[in-house]
Amino acid sequence: MSNSNITQEVVERIKSTLGDLVKGIEEHKGFVTVYVDPENLVKAASLLKSMGFDHVKSVTVVDRIKEKVFHVGYHVSSFSDPELAKVVVELATIISREDDAKVPSLTGVWTSAEFQEREAYEFFGIIFEGHPDLRPILLAPDVAEKRPLRKDFVVKEEGIYRE
Amino acid sequence: MPGSQKAKGRVYVGNVDVAAKRAREILMKKAKVGKLVDWATAFSLWPVHLTTSCCGCEFAATWSPRFDAERYGALPWVGARQTNMILIEGTVTRKMACALRVTWEQMPYPKFAIAMGACALDGGIFYNSYNIVRPWEVIPVDVFIPGCPPRPEAVARAILELQRIIREKDLVGSWIAEGKRPDKPIVKPKEDPCAWWRG
Ligand code: SF4
Repeated sequence: MSNSNITQEVVERIKSTLGDLVKGIEEHKGFVTVYVDPENLVKAASLLKSMGFDHVKSVTVVDRIKEKVFHVGYHVSSFSDPELAKVVVELATIISREDDAKVPSLTGVWTSAEFQEREAYEFFGIIFEGHPDLRPILLAPDVAEKRPLRKDFVVKEEGIYRE
Repeated sequence: MPGSQKAKGRVYVGNVDVAAKRAREILMKKAKVGKLVDWATAFSLWPVHLTTSCCGCEFAATWSPRFDAERYGALPWVGARQTNMILIEGTVTRKMACALRVTWEQMPYPKFAIAMGACALDGGIFYNSYNIVRPWEVIPVDVFIPGCPPRPEAVARAILELQRIIREKDLVGSWIAEGKRPDKPIVKPKEDPCAWWRG
């Protein structure tokens, strides 16, 4: 069975499992993006987990500053199901771009999201509600307060050459 | 090498005969004991294992059999208390600056520092970053090695250079006698690198 057939099949399975929670679905060469509303995130996540997606590969945030939104995405895949292991599914949600943007934490569903949510928190300032231990993980706290990966953060220019 | 043996501050790499002769000369001529201490310290520069960044790979290669920096008497050691040299391997982030300063303060004097890589010189590829510090703002650095990353030969060269500095400037003897380093002021970081941790 070719790769796109597997992807198609997974798309169909996700559509039938999540039902009308799905706001939109995109697929491209083994990568599937499922958009859901922020308030449905935890429910959609536990449904995906019951399908066999058992771990989070990465938690990522895209700062779309012109549209004034954050795109928060959880890349999930499977270790236990060899068929599902061939695809990576992104469970994505779009939230409005505010200083303290909030999104429900998925730590309760996938434990492996814990550290990565902390990382998204320190770099983008997204507050994951229900996270057990939301502290900066890589950056020193004073740097994390500046939310360095937001598009409106300006680094101090040093110039390449100095006197 | 014979003929130029009397050149001041010369490093006699791996030549036990010459080194022994030199030690005998120092003792026979009743030179200052400090001279002997300088001579001995130059051949036992033990760097502490503190790998701050990717230059650490070249640091490892320097001590691997092919380049074998142990023949200069330098041996990486684990505990800061048993070492007298620190080799900063590349980028120092805000958090690592604290570890660097704490390690430096734990080391007994006389102690020396080599900074390795473009990142340690002036930021390297991270020159405009919000999260790095310059290591020379945290501890006093004796020798800089340019390169990204520097070759193991360059690291070996820096060790030899440090040996030369120690012997030419009589650093260790007078440092022990006077309790402070004769040639350089004490570097104190402008802001406490561990402030984020102390709270
Ligand atoms: S100088 Fe180059 S190799 Fe060394 S730490 Fe910086 S980026 Fe890495």
